[in-house]
Amino acid sequence: MTAPLVEMRHIHKRFGDVVALEDVHFELQAGEIHGLLGGNGAGKTTLMNILYGLYTADRGEIHVRGQRVLIHSPRDALHLGIGMVHQHFLQVAPFTVVENIALGTLPRLGGKKHVRAAADRIQALAQQFGLAVDPHAVVEDLPVGVRQRVEILKALYRGADVLILDEPTTNLTPQEVDALFQSLRAMVAQGLSVIFITHKIREVMAVCDRVTVLREGRNVFTRSRAETREEDLVRGMVGEQLDVQHSFLFSGRPQETEHTAGAPLIQVHDLTVLGDNNVPAVQGCTFTVREGEILGIAGVAGNGQTELAEALMGIRPIAQGEVTINGYRVRVGSTRHLLARDVAYIPEDRLEDGYLPAASVAHNLILGYHRRPPYSRGSFLDWPAVFQAAWRLIKEYNIRTAGPTEIAANLSGGNIQRLMLARAFAHPFRVLIAHNPTRGLDIPSTEFVYRKLLEARARGAAILLISEDLDELLLLCDRIGTLYRGQLMGILDRPAFDKYRIGEMMAGVAATQA
Amino acid sequence: MVVTQASPPRLSRWLMAALPYVAAVVISFLAAGVFIAVMGFNVLRAYETILFTSFRTPNGFIQTLLKFVPLTLQALAFTVPLAAGKFNIGGEGQMIVGAIGATAVGILFAGAPGVLLLPSVLLASVLAGALWAAIPGWLLYRFGINEILSTVLMNFVSFQLINYVATEIWPDPAAGHPTTVPIGEGALLPLLIRRPPLHLGFLLTIVVAVLVYIYVTRTVYGYELVATGANPRAAQVYGIPVQVLSVLALVLGGAMAGLAGGVEVAGIHRRLIEGLQSNYLTLGILAGLIAKGRVVAVPFVAFFLSVLEVGASAMQRTMMIPGEMVIIVEAFIVLFILLSEVIRRR
Repeated sequence: MTAPLVEMRHIHKRFGDVVALEDVHFELQAGEIHGLLGGNGAGKTTLMNILYGLYTADRGEIHVRGQRVLIHSPRDALHLGIGMVHQHFLQVAPFTVVENIALGTLPRLGGKKHVRAAADRIQALAQQFGLAVDPHAVVEDLPVGVRQRVEILKALYRGADVLILDEPTTNLTPQEVDALFQSLRAMVAQGLSVIFITHKIREVMAVCDRVTVLREGRNVFTRSRAETREEDLVRGMVGEQLDVQHSFLFSGRPQETEHTAGAPLIQVHDLTVLGDNNVPAVQGCTFTVREGEILGIAGVAGNGQTELAEALMGIRPIAQGEVTINGYRVRVGSTRHLLARDVAYIPEDRLEDGYLPAASVAHNLILGYHRRPPYSRGSFLDWPAVFQAAWRLIKEYNIRTAGPTEIAANLSGGNIQRLMLARAFAHPFRVLIAHNPTRGLDIPSTEFVYRKLLEARARGAAILLISEDLDELLLLCDRIGTLYRGQLMGILDRPAFDKYRIGEMMAGVAATQA
Repeated sequence: MVVTQASPPRLSRWLMAALPYVAAVVISFLAAGVFIAVMGFNVLRAYETILFTSFRTPNGFIQTLLKFVPLTLQALAFTVPLAAGKFNIGGEGQMIVGAIGATAVGILFAGAPGVLLLPSVLLASVLAGALWAAIPGWLLYRFGINEILSTVLMNFVSFQLINYVATEIWPDPAAGHPTTVPIGEGALLPLLIRRPPLHLGFLLTIVVAVLVYIYVTRTVYGYELVATGANPRAAQVYGIPVQVLSVLALVLGGAMAGLAGGVEVAGIHRRLIEGLQSNYLTLGILAGLIAKGRVVAVPFVAFFLSVLEVGASAMQRTMMIPGEMVIIVEAFIVLFILLSEVIRRR
């Protein structure tokens, strides 16, 4: 084996009391796609942020091309040929592609000529790696998949030959994922090297040459894909906590027992909802969710999912159309009546919408249900009952906290998510509207949520599951509708599920059959 | 990720919570002592006067309790809206208008029997204060006008109003200062202790403080108030009518500040006197901040500040040290407590 291109040795990193990385090793060979696999909080992104100079390690060494290096900033990293594409793009939305890519590299004078030269170089790079993009398009008009190509081109334009991609398939359609993988193959074929951060085993198996698995800030193993089975990766990611044989997540939804959907519990007719800019974010949507049914809503983030969920919960005004949930006609301000009628809600933005940072964990666990027994009797809260319930929920949902009186601001993202789930699932809901319910959860917790959703379905609840994770929808749903620019492009029944068809619909191609 | 540190045991956590307060008080006194020493006074005697005047004579103690009444009500008038994330800086105006309401009823129905008149007078002060706070509340609800600004501005309106009432409507021509004629005998608060006199307002304040505590910490309405203050957006998403609650919190605050005005009229002055609001707003805000918005702590902090206030005036009388020294101490306490918060977050 030749000397590695990049080698990270004995990397340690703490954030306050939290150990993010402990004695982690990582090496990248020239010309390979190296998967960095792990659940949430495994330390993947932290490790790569250290390589890219966004953090410095508390201890440990980095060697690039055989030289020991100190990387203090992304500028240092770029000098060494290391570029990174983050999950959230840093782009100037009203600028063109060229302007974004060449930002900070163009000389101040003689603009036009240099812009033309830059555009030519971008074209050349785009062609070389199959990253089709119009250099003169305005970035804010582009779909997420293309904006990602812009971000990759930006790194390449600045001379990166080691490319770090952080969860690059989030929010891509299956078609765009295939195209991305082809581009990555083209890059390594031409001598570049790629580090591919992901939590999806399938992606590792699809595109990586080697894989390093991290768990809780430690190395689990590094192997070539050829000698790795999916099951090894699962075990590597979750340890022995999960019974892989009996997991929905890895073996699929259990076979149907006799199942017929019952009465309609969510009825949406010709719904139009305005976004924050007063432009319709949801337009003319019509659908029904019945008892014992999970309807999924697929789509790239920002296509009206949030507005749809908020209108259904009475948080955002309905501009046009009708929404009836559990027999109740929804208007803006209906939220408390819906919650009282056994309608549960898991909002997308847990930090803004989902929790009370300045209040205790117990306060948080009863939010929205505080007017119900056992939490209150009449006008008075029953704190002993609340605390009893809180302890039970903390244990059942594995919320890591000192106890019900701890201030919720101390909780980590995954724990806030678990807290929101505990709050929603603590009551046997008839209707659930859940938006990205498993975001930020580790695998056992995700599995737990899936189990809860399927249990609720089995007892006759109607569930609207809005998710950006297509695999999650394919696994759980009875039907899947796809939102594109606020419009429902069609709803497919389970037998007709096809990742690529949904991908087309996510990109705006309407379903041919209704 | 792995959390390595276990949570410390209960007792030491309590000590850790109390430590910044003790430290803040001690450091504040030391800092003020430097000023007093620089001005050439006896520091230890000054400390002694500030801290012990309230406890040396019955008179001193009653003085302290009489300060405690409006101070606690003003502190609650600030703290309850704060629980909902709203800043009521209008306690001064609400107290003045409450006093005007009480005086108006007390003069207009001066002949009525006490059983009817006293409750009406107090109710009038509560309603007047609530109304005065409802104006900024409505502006907030309807137009989203920042309540800090509008409550402060309402104070200035109340200064003109009290002047008008005390010089034009029911002026007492014998007084050299804007003052109204006395209210009816039946409007006066009965005394709990005759000599030195302590009026029923003290008991009333304790009852109000207990009711507020129960309201905020034990009822679903108080829960919604706290949720609104903790994160208004999330509270709304979970069905709490946050805008209505913000207004309600301001109105409740106004009602308590108004009561402070009514109690001062019916218990101390027996008439409306310009300036009766004293500096209770400032002290109330300080008390609310030192209590960090916790209603349970408010009466205790208010009592502590009353002790300092009474000590300050004694110090001014007997040692000629400016009483404002104590304001400096109080300001230092707030600063150090806020500072300790910053340090803890590090």
